[in-house]
Amino acid sequence: MNISTQSRLLFFWGVLTAITLIAWWIGTHHSDTSLHPEAAVGLSAMAITLIKVRVIIREFMDVRNAPSKLKYITDAWLVIFIICISIAYFAI
Amino acid sequence: MNNTARYEDFKSRSELDSGEAKYPGQAAMWALVMIEAMTFSAYFVVYTIYYKLNPEAFLRSQAELSLGFGVFNTVILLTSSLSIALCVFHSREGNIRTALRYCLLTVAGGLLFSALKIYEWSVEIGKGFTFSSDEFFSYYYFFTGMHLLHVLVGFIALGVVYYQLINPSRRDQEIIESGATFWHMVDFLWVIIFALLYVMR
Repeated sequence: MNISTQSRLLFFWGVLTAITLIAWWIGTHHSDTSLHPEAAVGLSAMAITLIKVRVIIREFMDVRNAPSKLKYITDAWLVIFIICISIAYFAI
Repeated sequence: MNNTARYEDFKSRSELDSGEAKYPGQAAMWALVMIEAMTFSAYFVVYTIYYKLNPEAFLRSQAELSLGFGVFNTVILLTSSLSIALCVFHSREGNIRTALRYCLLTVAGGLLFSALKIYEWSVEIGKGFTFSSDEFFSYYYFFTGMHLLHVLVGFIALGVVYYQLINPSRRDQEIIESGATFWHMVDFLWVIIFALLYVMR
């Protein structure tokens, strides 16, 4: 069980780092230098980011093993945040 | 107050039965984390609004940032977050020497992050982009500056973790977890700032 906790942390660190490096690779190969917002890039970047934040909260901050109240509160924040960002992005 | 009483009651029950769900760290630290998260969320929404009002200017300035700095800093903070999580794990298991090592590794990650951030600022200032250059750079210096301030407070949190670990009489797993929780918050706030400033279009 102890070894599995450590490997679990390492596994999710690997996932988070891989996502970050893939974003870098896409960023450096995305040679479109036009100065217009691209909803696909903008919102997929935010969606991937909030998945990363949720992994940090659930796995690294150990909310996975916390009372469900804390799980609901942290998830509610993420949902409200992505809704507010999306409204700001699309309404203007 | 009623909640506090219930939380205390919950805590004592969870100490009797270790299989029961338990808050990682102190409830007050979680209150702080959620307040910080909501405050920064408001900044991020305001940033998005100003970005959409003038995307050309924002994207032109964004192109002056080096994505490599942002990525490298993200990987450093993710690694330091892993390190403090391993510190909490080993402290819980009673492997104090290993926990201390991971705590110091986390501090090293934070120092590396700070040094790189200051170097990045000096590069941007060298190119002539300062706080008052344009809207994007105002946000850039404001977000990264506010965040670096949290990194500095995070060093105090890590100092508390270290102090708890080296004093056997003082060692309190709950306080150690609270310090770690603050550091993870510094990490996830940076992950969002990175996406907004360096990646979002």
